[in-house]
Amino acid sequence: MGGPLEGVRAMVLTQAWAGSLSTELLALMGAEVVQIEARRRLDSWRGSYDGPIPAGLRAVPSATHAWNVSPNFNAVNLNKQEITLDLQTEEGIELFRRLIPHADIMVENFSPRVVGNLGIDYEALKAIKPDLIMCSLSAYGADGPWRDIPGIGGTIEPTSGQSALLGYVDGAPLNSGRMFPDGVAGTYGFAALVTALHYRNRTGRGQYIDLSMQDANYGLIGDAVLEQTITGNVRPRMGNRHLTFAPHGIYAALGQDDGGEQWVALAAESAGQWASLCGVAGRPEWASDPRFTTNEARKEHEDDLDGVIGAWIAEQQRDEVVAALQAAGVIAAPVLDGFEVAADETFRARGYVQDIDHPEAGTHAQFTAPFRLSGTPLDPARPSPLMGEHSEEVLARFLDIDHDEYERLVQLGVTGEGPPPGYEGTAGA
Amino acid sequence: MTVERQRALDDVRVIDLSTSVAGAWCTRLLADFGADVIAVEPPGGSRLRSLGPFSEDGTSILASYVLANKRSIMLDVEHAQGRRALSAMVRNSQIVVESGTPGTIDRWGIGLDQRDELWPKQTLVSITPHGQDGGREHLPGNDLTAYGYSGWAAANGLADREPLKGSGYTASYLAGVTAYAGAVTALCYSDEHPGEGQHVDVAESEAAGIVFAPGLVATQHAGAVTGRKQQMDLISGPVPVRDGHFALTLSRAHFWRDAMNVLGLEVLSADRRFDSGWYRMQHRDEFVPVVEARMAERDKMELFDALGALRVVAGPVLDTAELSENEHLRSRGNLVRPTDTDEGPHFPGAPFRMSETPWALDRGMPRAGKDSARVLRDAADYMDDWIGGLAEQGVLG
Repeated sequence: MGGPLEGVRAMVLTQAWAGSLSTELLALMGAEVVQIEARRRLDSWRGSYDGPIPAGLRAVPSATHAWNVSPNFNAVNLNKQEITLDLQTEEGIELFRRLIPHADIMVENFSPRVVGNLGIDYEALKAIKPDLIMCSLSAYGADGPWRDIPGIGGTIEPTSGQSALLGYVDGAPLNSGRMFPDGVAGTYGFAALVTALHYRNRTGRGQYIDLSMQDANYGLIGDAVLEQTITGNVRPRMGNRHLTFAPHGIYAALGQDDGGEQWVALAAESAGQWASLCGVAGRPEWASDPRFTTNEARKEHEDDLDGVIGAWIAEQQRDEVVAALQAAGVIAAPVLDGFEVAADETFRARGYVQDIDHPEAGTHAQFTAPFRLSGTPLDPARPSPLMGEHSEEVLARFLDIDHDEYERLVQLGVTGEGPPPGYEGTAGA
Repeated sequence: MTVERQRALDDVRVIDLSTSVAGAWCTRLLADFGADVIAVEPPGGSRLRSLGPFSEDGTSILASYVLANKRSIMLDVEHAQGRRALSAMVRNSQIVVESGTPGTIDRWGIGLDQRDELWPKQTLVSITPHGQDGGREHLPGNDLTAYGYSGWAAANGLADREPLKGSGYTASYLAGVTAYAGAVTALCYSDEHPGEGQHVDVAESEAAGIVFAPGLVATQHAGAVTGRKQQMDLISGPVPVRDGHFALTLSRAHFWRDAMNVLGLEVLSADRRFDSGWYRMQHRDEFVPVVEARMAERDKMELFDALGALRVVAGPVLDTAELSENEHLRSRGNLVRPTDTDEGPHFPGAPFRMSETPWALDRGMPRAGKDSARVLRDAADYMDDWIGGLAEQGVLG
């Protein structure tokens, strides 16, 4: 174990991305997190029981259960333990209630009506554990006209104003390639939990947190929101350009068309950086060109500017030109693909990328905690749990359920590992 | 009778030395949840005040957003007296936030090498493009580099175009949220271990990695780079409707069936094979064009209402003007004016709502140096005549 939150325990009903991420961050910081899943309605981020094994895992002999080798699930559940409980059964819900006194924190991201229908809303759980911290993470929050409308990253991005701002200049509104709003909501979810934890440490009081993915994400375009209300200007889509600075873009480098992609991101945010960029490019005439002498002029002639920079970068090796720009103090980066990120020496040296050895999927590079604390270094991250991997152990540890009783519950479908009794899928055992 | 509720962080004073959007957002959140945040601005004011967009009178709208809810002191830390005042403020705080390249605060007399001796109890939060070590720590960066290094840009946008960063300052804001979480995590640790402050190291590129974490694993599992979208269609995001754009994500089986019925495509909703998401992905050409054609005949809010009533996951693309009038955000109190003003724009409200310890936006952005004298009295225990002397020497603005 180890980590700043050692000693904190969470029993959570989180699933998909945002909810699971919020509790993964707890687990990465050293809290003990027991995630509770339903065999009859598995986490959508495990895919489905009959889903295909990812192509790159077909040569891995242990990769036999699609639901245990889902990259989505395994990316956001590090360091957790997992049990299954069927909360639709009386015994399942009773076991859940008996676990709550052992928890400091409960988090769920069902649709808003679900915990009430199951009799496990905040008021009910507070009666069992008065200082419980509970967070409900939903698409649109616990009240308001849209509260019952479900949502995911792909629909919160449009309804929080982000899609309208994301896209190429003069292009259509886009959703991000990897859903941005879940990462935001999950990080905010974790932030909310530690905020409540600090207050509980001071006062002994728990509380309820209502996190709407729309609310959380709307704030990330706050300057555009204020711009519209103050000036009336609805900010257009700007591609990779910046409101204030130019140049600011992503340009194709040499070798772009030879299969692999080679892109250079660069920006100049000061006169000094612009002068340095002209120096690295060996084009003193840019620095004296009246279209480019001041940042204001460069913004005004940004199409021309992107044209000359694009033509120059097109003749450069990506990593060479990035290194030269960086050495000269210019803002620059390669656009890394997934394999390059996995191998990145800086991320590895910092412990952000670690090789995670998963019992079924094998060893893969994964991102871990997005911040580090000097006084509480973290142990290497542990892989995301198999479905129900810790069911017997956790139920025995907290509720004194012995092996025979556990087997009885498994036969009833109340708990267990993997697909429920009677499931006849094509994949799996 | 109403009892004024406590704020979660009203036991915390923050010295904000940051000059980036990420740093300012971290401290804005600390202020919103009750901390006394003191923005330390150099003579002339924070560089954030020079970033667009601007209102008619030349005020930075960006700064208005991220510097709200704070107090401001204008202090010249290049001057020995300024450094002395800063050091006093730091010792009377719980959290210090900074965004300089490593070594910057050392030059101001409150560096890492002095921490153990001078201010071991305080939490120091450093938010930088690449973190405190690892080889890139001295390089400049911004949202572009965060999205470039994290892998997210390579997967964002269209396959036949350049990779796209996120819009505006989204990576910076996300790093700010991450730093806020790190700061409060360190506070929780100090609660249990009194006197033990920590140094929180946040790299903007790593905070951005959070949104690429599944993509990183998926790339390796697929054995191939999962690049950008070949085209924008129903599968990848919003598609045109009569009055704008609309996203219909069709994940679970009943979303699919109900959505097809709403669109009058009962042939598709009745076809059981399409219940499976992975089957639909393999046979997208059999339904995407016809579904998009039906959607193009509908209006976005009418479609959202019809699908929402059936609890189908769907979403209209709304712009900032539409959201300023949005009845749902309004009813949740998410369009908020600072309590010290009766005019001016509404701000986005609480990112999460806490039942016991509310979020609050008490004041708008302070003028640079607005609270200089008061801050030195409160936070550095300085006497008035000494403060007056600093002002005369130009150390205090």
